Amino acid sequence: MFGKRIGESDVLRALRQVVDPDLHRDIVSLGFVKNLKIEDSVVSFDINLTTPACPVRERMREEARRAVAQLEGVREVRVNLTAEVRPHVGLDRSGLAGVRNIVAIGSGKGGVGKSTVAVNLAATLRTSGARVGLLDADIYGPAVPIMLGHRQQAEVRENRIVPAEHHGLRFISMGLFVPGDKPLIWRGPMAHKALQQCLFDVEWGELDYLLVDLPPGTGDVHLTLAQSVPVTGAVIVSTPQDVGLVISMKTLRMFQQTNIPILGIVENMSYYVCSHCGAREEIFGHGGARRASEELGVPFLGEIPIDVRIRRQADTGTPIVLADPESPAAQAYRAIAEQLAAQISIVNYQMTPLRIEEVST
Amino acid sequence: MNARASVRPQAIKKIGASEIHILWSDGHASTYRASYLRRHCRCALCVDELTGRSVLAPETIPDELTIVSVELVGQYALHFQWSDGHSTGIYPFAQLRALCPCEHCVSALSSAAPLT
Ligand SMILES: Nc1ncnc2c1ncn2[C@@H]1O[C@H](COP(=O)(O)OP(=O)(O)OP(=O)(O)O)[C@@H](O)[C@H]1O
Ligand SMILES: [Mg+2]
Ligand SMILES: [Zn+2]
Ligand SMILES: [Zn+2]
Ligand SMILES: [Zn+2]
Repeated sequence: MFGKRIGESDVLRALRQVVDPDLHRDIVSLGFVKNLKIEDSVVSFDINLTTPACPVRERMREEARRAVAQLEGVREVRVNLTAEVRPHVGLDRSGLAGVRNIVAIGSGKGGVGKSTVAVNLAATLRTSGARVGLLDADIYGPAVPIMLGHRQQAEVRENRIVPAEHHGLRFISMGLFVPGDKPLIWRGPMAHKALQQCLFDVEWGELDYLLVDLPPGTGDVHLTLAQSVPVTGAVIVSTPQDVGLVISMKTLRMFQQTNIPILGIVENMSYYVCSHCGAREEIFGHGGARRASEELGVPFLGEIPIDVRIRRQADTGTPIVLADPESPAAQAYRAIAEQLAAQISIVNYQMTPLRIEEVST
Repeated sequence: MNARASVRPQAIKKIGASEIHILWSDGHASTYRASYLRRHCRCALCVDELTGRSVLAPETIPDELTIVSVELVGQYALHFQWSDGHSTGIYPFAQLRALCPCEHCVSALSSAAPLT
């Protein structure tokens, strides 16, 4: 039997029907299709996604497979998913050439679970295959080393600081560089210097995502970060208790004032999951973050339940996403990490900076 | 779906002193008069925080209102200073798109949610 010869252009034309739902363009013109091979009636190719944590990877794989399978003469389609996190514009020119994206994690007030969110998102992204670092920029007490179960701090080698590494994550605490015995008034300028050290004097190596756990509220550290490096964007963590989210909004505005795009809002301690039956019970004020993000037109990344195991795991040094990946809490973090990764890809894709053109009449 | 900033401006033009033109990434084009945007200000001074209703009487905004300055807020919103001195409003792109006064958008809106 003679099959019709399958042409490369036929395959590419078929693949143009597959649209990346985040970037709103087809995967061929986005340049995602790689290593196209046609051997007899078997077609194989890679789809090179913008993040290994892509929330729609299986859907894209299936759509691509189906589109090509419809072509006459195709007996088999092999779709291989690969991922390459694209760097944020400007970062290649900074002293952090190996770091592709810097993501700030902020909150309006303390104690909302910001560090816990940062650590669990970092660990989730790592599990998906991305290279991840964590900069603990809270000067009032390093939480990250405890949550990662690693008290041994960074080492200095030949004037460069080598970050600690555990659970596959590289991390450093700024608290190390800010002497705790100094009065508050001295700590501001020291924090500025310490953050710059953590950015530029640290051997971060190759990272897809460097998450920065900021101190609560707004202040020097935020400003230093915004002024020192091109930040891909910021995540804001809030709780249903943040009255009208007013405090978080202040943080949000501060990021906007410093030209840092808001990647989204996370609502932590949103609801209870009964440890016996798994039933979900909402906390008063639940949903406020989602409503606020809709009003503001910024993405809502998701909600995380109150769960004592989240705290217990943080206290014992193995984040829940690693200790119990199938728990509802871990699933919530995973969904958020995927949305976050997608938002980062969108920002990087769209980052032909906008400007306003003045036209006289 | 929430407003995932999926449609965003491709080009933004200030035309003369009282018009803004936005070409969107999906090809749609919107033209806004300064007075129209000013009347839809969502800032804390113009909107009652509790009810979410506008406390602005539209007739107090002159049709000839002009734009003193317009600048980008990050990559995400426009910030105007109007000729009546007001300058606290920030207009996220998602909101601007929803405010598009073109015939197509207005009729789509009124058929989806009839005003009662
Ligand atoms: N979803 C959750 N369920 C239960 N406990 C949580 C949850 N999220 C955080 N916690 C706990 O709440 C406490 C505060 O969390 P965390 O230290 O992450 O907050 P933070 O915002 O970083 O605080 P700080 O302002 O002190 O830096 C910790 O004991 C943590 O284990
Ligand atoms: Mg913290
Ligand atoms: Zn129960
Ligand atoms: Zn106003
Ligand atoms: Zn329109």
